[in-house]
Amino acid sequence: MTTQVSKVVALRAAPSLQASEATKGEHTERQVDWVSLLVIAPAILILLGFLALFFYGVYQSLTDLRLGRPVVRFVGFANYVALMKTSEFWNSVRVTVVYAVSAVFIEALLGLMIAKLFASGVTLARWLRPLILLPLVLPPMSVALMWTTMMNPQSGILNYLFSLVGIGPFSWISSPATSLISVILIDVWTYTPFFALIIFAGLQGITDDLREAARINGAKAWATFVNIELPLVAPYILIAALFRLIESFNQFDIIFGTTQGGPGNSTSALSVQAYITAFQNLTFGRGAAMMVVNWLIVLIGAMLTVKLWQAVRRRVN
Amino acid sequence: MRSTISTFCSHARRAARHNMVGVLLLATTVTMSTSAIAADMNWRQFEGTTITWAYDIHPYADALSAELPEFEKLTGIKVTPELYPDDSYWNKLTIQLTTKSPAWDVVGTGIQPAWDLAPSGALEPLGKYLNDPALTDASYDYNDFFPALRSALTWKMEDGQIAAGGDGEVWAIPHAFENIQLFYRKDILEKHGIQVPTTPTEMGAACEKLKAADPQITPLGVRGVRFWASIHTAVASIAKSYGVQDWVMKDGKLDTGLDSPESIAFHKDYVDMIKKCAAPSFANDNWYQVVDGISSGRTAMAIDSNMFGFWNDVKGQPASGKIAFAPPLRAPDAKGPSSNIWIWSLAMNSASEKKGAAWLFIQWATSKKVALAGAVAGKLVNPPRASTWGDETWLNYASQPEFNNFVESFKATQEHAALAFTPRVGFGEAMNAWAVAMQKMVNGDDVEATLHALAEEIRAGL
Repeated sequence: MTTQVSKVVALRAAPSLQASEATKGEHTERQVDWVSLLVIAPAILILLGFLALFFYGVYQSLTDLRLGRPVVRFVGFANYVALMKTSEFWNSVRVTVVYAVSAVFIEALLGLMIAKLFASGVTLARWLRPLILLPLVLPPMSVALMWTTMMNPQSGILNYLFSLVGIGPFSWISSPATSLISVILIDVWTYTPFFALIIFAGLQGITDDLREAARINGAKAWATFVNIELPLVAPYILIAALFRLIESFNQFDIIFGTTQGGPGNSTSALSVQAYITAFQNLTFGRGAAMMVVNWLIVLIGAMLTVKLWQAVRRRVN
Repeated sequence: MRSTISTFCSHARRAARHNMVGVLLLATTVTMSTSAIAADMNWRQFEGTTITWAYDIHPYADALSAELPEFEKLTGIKVTPELYPDDSYWNKLTIQLTTKSPAWDVVGTGIQPAWDLAPSGALEPLGKYLNDPALTDASYDYNDFFPALRSALTWKMEDGQIAAGGDGEVWAIPHAFENIQLFYRKDILEKHGIQVPTTPTEMGAACEKLKAADPQITPLGVRGVRFWASIHTAVASIAKSYGVQDWVMKDGKLDTGLDSPESIAFHKDYVDMIKKCAAPSFANDNWYQVVDGISSGRTAMAIDSNMFGFWNDVKGQPASGKIAFAPPLRAPDAKGPSSNIWIWSLAMNSASEKKGAAWLFIQWATSKKVALAGAVAGKLVNPPRASTWGDETWLNYASQPEFNNFVESFKATQEHAALAFTPRVGFGEAMNAWAVAMQKMVNGDDVEATLHALAEEIRAGL
């Protein structure tokens, strides 16, 4: 009986307890987590700083700013309209997209092959693993200068080596017909290790029991790779592709260090042409407009890649 | 009588003593006055300062760098050199000066880049330093620089543009200057029986003969980079002989002259010559590659600053004694050659916080003594002072056998040498576009169509 009464008392007490707990909860919700805010404040400040600089750049693209001229006038979209009327601008857009997409595609393919080699554990792979990082640690401008020398049509080592097997000579960066593929090759040499490392990490994450199960069911190595490993490692490939795509759309060092956008306009990517327009020709407003267009291309490319990555991840999960 | 003579002698002796004292007093006063004038220019008045001097990687920089310890000993001012490759230097110079960075105190510049820097007030006018006896030594003698060089570096601004006429502010001091010549490996030409060409057509024929004799050789080294640096040497000089003008007045308005009939004729000949003669790496070649080619013997001829030929003739250089000189190529119907001039000059950053020390450095670096020392070291050529060209030390040095006909060729070319460009803000934009157009034409684009497109691009920029 006493126990039952106690239970009733407890039950009757429950609403007020709930009420006080609810009130306590409301108080808790109203309290701001200052510690967390303090911790992320620097990141927010830096982000705001970047955004402020970005919007200032957009503003500059709407003016007739010339380096060294004190008077600046707001001209609206005049810079953009002027750009779109020129074939040079559209050529720069084409070069930018072709460069980025080609470079990333080839790097992904080669990176996957190298990652598979590393995962196989053969002796060659063990030797290659520490060396693969070398292109990544070199400053991009040093890479550009090195390749400029190697690709000299007359005295460069590449043509010399090819001549030993009866091939060439090639013009490499000295001819508009071969200059774009040449700078793409330099990009591939420099950044394929990035893909290889990320994909290799993905391959390491695939447990052996999956492969074993496939083998037991009679699947050959190629089928195992295509139907099991590749789908599982696809998200890693796409993450690496996202980072590389963003960088490739903005690529400046390799192109400027080798061809400065030439010969003619054959490698005149938006970033290079924007630099020349702003800092050599001193028409800063026009150069800023080019960079805003470049940013739009990066944004669209990145969004599409993220969508693809999300779809692949859903499929894998 | 005797008393008269002795009285006279006594008076004479007294007079002589008085006069002697007077003369001595006068002499002492004059000496002290002269010392006072010499003492106005105190070389150590900025002792303890450190300044930064920026320049191209260039023999002119080497000549100055070799003498820096002497400047530091004289003034107590420490100079930190910052030297950059050509393409990088011009970009960095523009950014440093237009953003008003005080990092560089003294900069190397040419006339044309200085035009583009003028509207921003990036360069400090030097007239007030030249005319200040407390800052400029009496022996400096600014008028000793060749009049054409002084005039080229003097202008005034009107409505944000450079005004025609020779008066105005002094914006830089000549450090050394170059005229454009054809220089060649006489050993290679003699070996293959090639006459020194005088026109682009003759050069094309000579190149074909050379290539037939030695397929490995590059007949002609010229700059081809996608930048104005490839325009102001061979292109500007030879174009001038065809009557090409960068800017013309049309119906009272300024217009580009690069799509004129003369320009089309020049470009057709020049592009044809480049296709037959230049290295496959033409589009990436700057002066470093031109010099390397002629020095190593991989290139038989070059059209560029005569200084590069001279520098490689210096005793001890691999090509010493092998490089001879000739005026630059000219139009077939031209009366004579034309040569652009390039004046490497020293200017002061208007944002410098050590202007006094910077001026002392510029003054010393362009002084008669340093100019002569640099010239007879084989690096500071051509000397910009008339006194150097009248100095036996320099003339004897430059007339040595290893320099072949350098002096004669310099004089012959200098008679036809003048600034080939119209002083104008916007030089860089127009000339960069010209360099890009040149690359397109060399790679097969139609000459006339490309020049018309170039002209429209330049007009849009106006």
